[in-house]
Amino acid sequence: MTEKAPPRDIAVELLVEAGAVMASSLDLATTMQQVAQLTVPRLADLCTIDLCDDAGGAIREVAVASADVGLAHDLEAMRRRHPLDPDGEHPVARVIASGEPMLLAEMNDVLMRSFAQGSEHARFMIEHRYRSVAMAPLVARGRTLGALSVLRLGDCEPYCGEDLDLACELARRAALAIDNARLYSEVRQVEQRLAAILVNLAEAITLMDAQGRMVFANQAAAELLQASSPEELMRARPGSIMERFLVLDEHGRELALDQMPGRRLFKGERPQPLLVRNIVRATGEERWLIVRSSPVTDPESGRVLFAVNVFENITEVKRAQLAESFMAEASRVLASSMDYSDTLQGVARLAVPQIADGCAVDVVNEHGEIERVAIYHRDPAMVALARRLDRGYRPAPGDPAGVPEVIRSGRPRLYAEVDPDALAAYATDNEHLELLQGIGARSVIIAPLAAPARTLGAVTLICSDSGRRFSHADLGLAVRLARRAGTAVESARLYTERNRIAHVLGAALLPESLPAVPGVQIEALYRAAGELNDVGGDFYDVLPYGVDRWLLVIGDVCGKGPRAAGVTALARHTLRAAAMLGQTPTGMLGTLHRALRSQPMGADLCTASLVTLRHAGTGQPAQLTVTLAGHPPPLVIDESGQATQVGRPGTLLGVIDPIDVAEVETQLRPGETLLLYTDGLPEAGRSDHRLGEQELLALCAEAPGLDLAAMLARIEQMALRQAQGMLRDDIALLAVRLC
Amino acid sequence: MGVEDQLGITVRREADRVVIDLDGELDMASAPFLQSALDGAEIEPETMVVLDLQSLQFIDSTGLRAILSLRDQCRERAQQFAVTRGSPQVQRLLDITGVSEHLQTPTA
Repeated sequence: MTEKAPPRDIAVELLVEAGAVMASSLDLATTMQQVAQLTVPRLADLCTIDLCDDAGGAIREVAVASADVGLAHDLEAMRRRHPLDPDGEHPVARVIASGEPMLLAEMNDVLMRSFAQGSEHARFMIEHRYRSVAMAPLVARGRTLGALSVLRLGDCEPYCGEDLDLACELARRAALAIDNARLYSEVRQVEQRLAAILVNLAEAITLMDAQGRMVFANQAAAELLQASSPEELMRARPGSIMERFLVLDEHGRELALDQMPGRRLFKGERPQPLLVRNIVRATGEERWLIVRSSPVTDPESGRVLFAVNVFENITEVKRAQLAESFMAEASRVLASSMDYSDTLQGVARLAVPQIADGCAVDVVNEHGEIERVAIYHRDPAMVALARRLDRGYRPAPGDPAGVPEVIRSGRPRLYAEVDPDALAAYATDNEHLELLQGIGARSVIIAPLAAPARTLGAVTLICSDSGRRFSHADLGLAVRLARRAGTAVESARLYTERNRIAHVLGAALLPESLPAVPGVQIEALYRAAGELNDVGGDFYDVLPYGVDRWLLVIGDVCGKGPRAAGVTALARHTLRAAAMLGQTPTGMLGTLHRALRSQPMGADLCTASLVTLRHAGTGQPAQLTVTLAGHPPPLVIDESGQATQVGRPGTLLGVIDPIDVAEVETQLRPGETLLLYTDGLPEAGRSDHRLGEQELLALCAEAPGLDLAAMLARIEQMALRQAQGMLRDDIALLAVRLC
Repeated sequence: MGVEDQLGITVRREADRVVIDLDGELDMASAPFLQSALDGAEIEPETMVVLDLQSLQFIDSTGLRAILSLRDQCRERAQQFAVTRGSPQVQRLLDITGVSEHLQTPTA
């Protein structure tokens, strides 16, 4: 039996010691065990602390203390076998459920059997002579977390009200300590789980707090944000990382730090993903990123604790998309007028600031001199400076470097980073050097104005004040642009007005060359119906479309002439861009349909046929999907010459809304041929002497014996014969044979 | 052969409808005449307009566009618009382009 010291002294002593224990360590289990231990033997023979998981959840014992170690051990074991039922009659469960303390000063066997969790539990309590128990709820922030129970065994002084008060006081303090420890532990667990996941993700992810500090960043984020390690990011002063970049929106306007989605989350907003153009100040490298931010909120207060920022790098796709739309626009500008110095100036304006800070075009005139025909820069002062430079220091055809060299060699030049020493060497005198330095070009591309037979001039692009630098991707686009412009200049000099338009636009309608696809032969043929000036609306394309997969496109825009050709360019480039974005065939046709319907001047109709081809390996059939939008179905010609139409009819594009198209799967076996064609083919001929589909099928019977090019030539001849030399509409043929 | 010879257009009024009969070829050259015929017919609102294609031998995408344009104009004027079946070539184009599903055939 315990020695009876003055109760108040015991109480004070106990509470002081418990306080010290609870302040010393945040490891929950250890703390509770120590607290329980403190009550033995001063206040109890046995002490247990039970916690419940969330409201009405399971009850777990976290601490058992007793002078008799064997008893503590046995109780733990038994509780594991018979956990307390939260809805049951056991006093601890009732204390937890009600949140109210309970005193059972003197218990007898009958009482204990009434709330025992089974006969083993009853026997345990009786054998160990449970006598008196005081139970206090552990309550913090209005929630009951569990209960603290003190027990006396055998012949003992029963607990009284003061003992219960003491137990409640102890429990109140223990509850606070548990609450704090739990919060700490939860946050640690979440942090660890998060870290484990994020470290390995390929996407760049950062976790930012309300002060703008990065509390977490993964390796991909470190690379994207130009840091040597995630730790460097986490050590950085808030906002200092962003200073490494020039951040612009889609339209080239600079974005402030507080416009970034992560910052806006802390202001209570729900920001949409943001597309940014991000330029590394140190290197001029440009990236396109989509920034998405989501909040981590405090479950109690709803306050935003952290912002999770995910940065998706879409540079390649975005570049490709911009390049296609730029080329479509440039083609239209070049075709808009006969005066090529006008149209080249238009193209220079178009290029700035989208692809460069400054653009100039030089052309070789009839005397062999290099003449400046277009100049444009974001800054009008720069235009004036460039003019002075041009007047004072005109490049001569024999110059070793610069525009004259590109014109002579026909090869483009990329100066990603202009070397000041090289510039000084290039300058002929001090004033020349001063003017060049005034322009401040950091990065230069010179691309040849290439006509089929010769180089007619050059397009010069510079990056100066924007901080951007050119890369090889930019060089590719510049070369395409300069080639298109070269055709425009050539056409202006050689053709009449109407023919020129057709020639320029014609270049936009058909691919420069067909790609080589391993294991597959591809041939195409285009036969215009009328004069060169009546360019029609047929187009075709062969594009890479994912891994080992290709996309074949054929289409037909309603009408003839420059307007139709413009729409054809739009159709071709829209499908190319949509394919690069990874849209499905159905998606691509939907995109084109919407683009056609949003044209300002009335309905532009277009039919199209998309075939995807996935090649498995030599000797294996290729998997095809065929999607038709108002277009005649392609033919699969087998090795015996039997032709079958494939695909399901779909709605034509541009007028009826919504469109109804379906992707149909089929195969192309080795030795088989896929033929795509436009309506000009079956329509060849007049009235009742039309070629028709039957003749076409008959011709296919001969196909296996002919090589692809010969087969297409035969089809063309047949159509011309039927039409007596006068085709009604253009014919485009695209054939694929699996080897 | 002039364009007028390529496409014959006859407008006849029946009890409950106005029938525009097309004979020949409806293509880029002749399509504008179809529009003129519709304009000239002065059809009251809430009359059914039937395009009779039985004698139409040929149609291209411009012709198709003209027919769809007629359909939209009739809709705006609260006139019912229906199209009869045409020759095999005509039907083929209407079917391939998915347009036939969007055109009503006349009742009786």
